[in-house]
Amino acid sequence: MDIRWDILAEYAPFFAKGTLLTIGLSIASIIIGCVLGLFIGIGKMSKNKWIALPFNCYITFFRGTPLLVQILLVHFGLVPLVLGQTNGITAAITALSLNSAAYVAEIFRAGIQSIDKGQMEAARSLGMNHRQAMRFVILPQAFKRMIPPLGNEFIVLIKDSSLAAIIAVKELIYWGQALQGQYYRVWEPYITAALIYLVLTFSLSLVLSRLERRLATE
Amino acid sequence: MKKFKLLAMAAAVFLFFLSACGTSETSGDSGSGGDGGKKTLRIVTDAAYAPFEYQDKGDVVGFDIDFIKAVAKEAGYEAKVEHVGWDPLFVEIKGKTADAAVSAITINDERKQTYDFSVPYFLSTNKIMIPKDSPIKSAEDLKDKVVAVQNGTTGQEAVEALLGAENKNIKKFKDNNLAIMELKGGGADAVVADNTVIEEYVKNNPKENFVVIEDPVFEKEFYGVMFPKASKLKAEFDKAIKALMENGEYAKIYNDWFKVDPDLTEIKAQQ
Repeated sequence: MDIRWDILAEYAPFFAKGTLLTIGLSIASIIIGCVLGLFIGIGKMSKNKWIALPFNCYITFFRGTPLLVQILLVHFGLVPLVLGQTNGITAAITALSLNSAAYVAEIFRAGIQSIDKGQMEAARSLGMNHRQAMRFVILPQAFKRMIPPLGNEFIVLIKDSSLAAIIAVKELIYWGQALQGQYYRVWEPYITAALIYLVLTFSLSLVLSRLERRLATE
Repeated sequence: MKKFKLLAMAAAVFLFFLSACGTSETSGDSGSGGDGGKKTLRIVTDAAYAPFEYQDKGDVVGFDIDFIKAVAKEAGYEAKVEHVGWDPLFVEIKGKTADAAVSAITINDERKQTYDFSVPYFLSTNKIMIPKDSPIKSAEDLKDKVVAVQNGTTGQEAVEALLGAENKNIKKFKDNNLAIMELKGGGADAVVADNTVIEEYVKNNPKENFVVIEDPVFEKEFYGVMFPKASKLKAEFDKAIKALMENGEYAKIYNDWFKVDPDLTEIKAQQ
């Protein structure tokens, strides 16, 4: 296994650009996915079956079909339909957000429902209304429990953003494949990409474990 | 709480920036043919087919790229070439999200049903790339061997005609580079692809001990520029291509990339 450092040096600026786009795609999708997921999670918890139904369908679809298929559908179907032309970055963010929203929705729901019923009853008996009880009693506790599964989801999302290379979004793997296409080499592009992903996911998990420790009560 | 707000705002700005990037990158390509400056055409390609089109440190370069830019200029347009990948480029042309595609695309009857093509601009045949010590001597010998091809190419069709369409020994890859990598890695016994591409690879990588063999069973093919059905560009590009072949510009680009002069007789006979 001979590593050609010269082509790595040559492609370093492109890997840097790719990394930035990977981070951009991930952050944008995490934010949109969380907001969307929150609404969908709340929707799914509705006691009215008819309101909950569409949210259930959404989760079933996006959790039950491959992300790759969703990316292809959004890129070649949805985005041209709306924008009149294809746009890789828009398609990637849309597909990643829609997909992670389904998972985030379930995480929110699980977090809120994991809080003991007695907490709500106690808060209500202290004179809080439902909203206040949610805001000051249930959600702070639920949020703490959501951090580990949310962290998992964010890490999965960073790694899954590599699938956007299939629609020629110039993220990390795109440049890896470009290097491979120019020089027909395997180790240089993919080991580099793997290490960069590792750094990204590892730093994210450090941040999250720090947050977890800060919120710990005992 | 303040920190959160700041974070959210930074994220929003970033998002806006990202989406702005996304649109500015592709805006102006479906241009409105304004009366002022030259209209810029969005040309799509699969830049994984050296020396026709490949990426050199992020730039899409190759014979096809120089050719299409010269043709567009001759026809009075600017050309912006974008790498989208092989299967996607057909989707882009079909959906009219790009003006034309240039990607060593062989003109054949199946494709003509869905797309329009310019007059031919390049002559090519499929050939077989094998390791030097391979027992394969002709296309006939491929029958019980594993063959790597690029999905959706005439190379794939040629191999399917030989081995049968459902043969599990045909490995179809997203681009030709991956097919060659598979051969290098030992996962395939041969690659069938357009002669120029594999001949260039063998020439540029003498240490890897590959050879290219030909077989008359593979028919001659012609590359054309691909347009959406009923595109107005076809007539203008046809004229421009013929003009470049007359005035020697085509020969110059050809010589730049292949170091020999083109033999235009067969291409012209097809026009």
